[in-house]
Amino acid sequence: MNLTFAWLVLVPAFAMSQEAQPEGEKKLEWNGNLDVKYSLFHMSQSSPNYRLQFYNKDVSPYLTQYRLEPYLNAEYKTQDLGFQLRTHATYYGDRESSFDLFEAFGSYNPSFHLAIQAGKRVYSWGKGYAFNPAGFVNPAKDPENPELAQAGLLSANAEYIKSFSSDALQSFSALLVVIPGNPTINNRFGESKYTDVAVKLSFLLWDTDIDLMTYQGSLTPKEYGLDFSRNLQDNLEVHAELSVAQKAHRFVIANGMLQSEQSDVVSYLLGIRYLNEWNTTVIAEYYRNGFGLSKEEYPAYRDFLLNGLAVGTPAAIQQILTTNQTYFKSSTLMQDYLYVKISQPEPFDWLYFTPSLFSIYNLNDKSFLLSVSLNYKPATNVEFIFWPSLLVGGGATEFGDRQAQQKVELWMRIFF
Amino acid sequence: MNSILKIGILVVAATAGLVAQDATALLKDVDDNLMPGSYEAYRRIINEEPNGSKKEYLFFTVKKGRDKIALLYLAPSSEKGRATLRLGENMWLYIPNLNKSIRVTSLQSIIGGVFNNADIMQLEYSVEYSATITGETEKEILLDLKAKNKTVAYDKLKMWVTRERKVVRKVEAYSASGMLIKTLDFRDDKDFGGGLVRPSIIETTSPLYKGYRSLIVYQSIKRRTFPDEVFTLNYLGRLGDLR
Repeated sequence: MNLTFAWLVLVPAFAMSQEAQPEGEKKLEWNGNLDVKYSLFHMSQSSPNYRLQFYNKDVSPYLTQYRLEPYLNAEYKTQDLGFQLRTHATYYGDRESSFDLFEAFGSYNPSFHLAIQAGKRVYSWGKGYAFNPAGFVNPAKDPENPELAQAGLLSANAEYIKSFSSDALQSFSALLVVIPGNPTINNRFGESKYTDVAVKLSFLLWDTDIDLMTYQGSLTPKEYGLDFSRNLQDNLEVHAELSVAQKAHRFVIANGMLQSEQSDVVSYLLGIRYLNEWNTTVIAEYYRNGFGLSKEEYPAYRDFLLNGLAVGTPAAIQQILTTNQTYFKSSTLMQDYLYVKISQPEPFDWLYFTPSLFSIYNLNDKSFLLSVSLNYKPATNVEFIFWPSLLVGGGATEFGDRQAQQKVELWMRIFF
Repeated sequence: MNSILKIGILVVAATAGLVAQDATALLKDVDDNLMPGSYEAYRRIINEEPNGSKKEYLFFTVKKGRDKIALLYLAPSSEKGRATLRLGENMWLYIPNLNKSIRVTSLQSIIGGVFNNADIMQLEYSVEYSATITGETEKEILLDLKAKNKTVAYDKLKMWVTRERKVVRKVEAYSASGMLIKTLDFRDDKDFGGGLVRPSIIETTSPLYKGYRSLIVYQSIKRRTFPDEVFTLNYLGRLGDLR
């Protein structure tokens, strides 16, 4: 959707709704934020990813990006009916902008036990903070910023909740999600045989959150998962996820060609959240990505990119870019990762200031990303973030081959 | 001689038991006079800084029984829609952008500033603390409260309770090492209806944050019952439906 058109529609609607609401009976509520982000990149001009993306472009190794990201949300709720809208736009300049409909769904809650929703909805399955191997219906997560809002899924769902007066099973819920086939025919029609179904059963059992989930896809493999989360002590939480994708295709490069191997693919995650006496929070997660490339497979993938560059024709470059975007676009390209985040809210009694440090460490090739985030909220509805990152790894390593080797981001966020 | 000693010990033990029982009953009365067993409430939290600037939060809170409480952020916009659920010692945080509930430790701070969870997600004093009476004046009774477990933010409290109406007037919170962490003054009694007359403002100061002041202002408290399903992880995203 055209960004300008969207805002022409939404902003007057916003203004009218504010005027129309009598005080005390306000049911339609609007809010949002404007993120202004300035980024400075030190590009790695020898990396194959950089050379593909900026092929035949003579540019400085120091690039900047200045972008605006307005979010506008609306919510209407009564006891049994609801409507929710979440929108997002990205504006780089008059010649480059985009609009995303993150969520737009209606809900009907006939009782406290039952809720029915239809539209575009974000789901967040799984207990992991940075990775969710059992997040079958989740948007792709960016482990560098796991709390960033993302676009939901066109779907309909029904959820049933039941509580129990028991020391063992305290609550149970069942969520059924139906996902219609993609509108691939004339961009409007899907085929009924491509309707997918996902189910999640949740239990609070002996003070432990447990989920069992499955995704029954028509074009994608059948997936099964489970997760749990529990406080071992008053300051220590543990969580885990496991997923199995049956007869799934795993893509690798062999003999200079894209090839797929079909097998049951297992991925899992183990994690902790720990709070110490100084109020420092540590999140640590180990992630096994069953779809990822092994240490031995990565050099073949890298050679594939370099070979395309060596051919050097526009068609070859485009083909490599397309293959890369389609099959190797994951932010976790390889198999074993360690994620650690340490945050210290309000150190030295400096109120509303939270520094944190996180690292994504690739256990297969020993490359890593190291980031420091300094977050300051000096006043209500204002937030500043200073966020330098360093990617460390030699040639032929995942983080060493990223387009940028250092980056610094500066955000200002205004909420309304 | 031995018999006299035994009788003496028994009398002292029985008296101590009675005093403990009195203190426990008094603490229960204090809880009953602060909040109904199940309720909904609107609370504003105001953090005031030495330079005069303020940060305000508005919460919608629902509570049932002695161990279920849920809280929804209504303001400011940057926090709107976030919610917290506490079931006994289990606690979760709901992030609306992600439609995700995260299990957090019960000691985790959910807003910055002088407040912590214990101030805004507190169940009942008598659930979290055991009490002893340590002093009395003509108008007030002084209680010493000791945390029953480590999930409570403050290890010890000193509580001043009015003798006549059994309403709390002041609380001092101490760390395990005996350091004063903060002082809470309960003031400005207000009739919230349904026979509930209680302090409407709780003012917090802390020697750790000199010049800072925090106020919890109760705007409304209404008796209301809820089904248990409201206090489940999956209902957190729907808390606003109850308003």
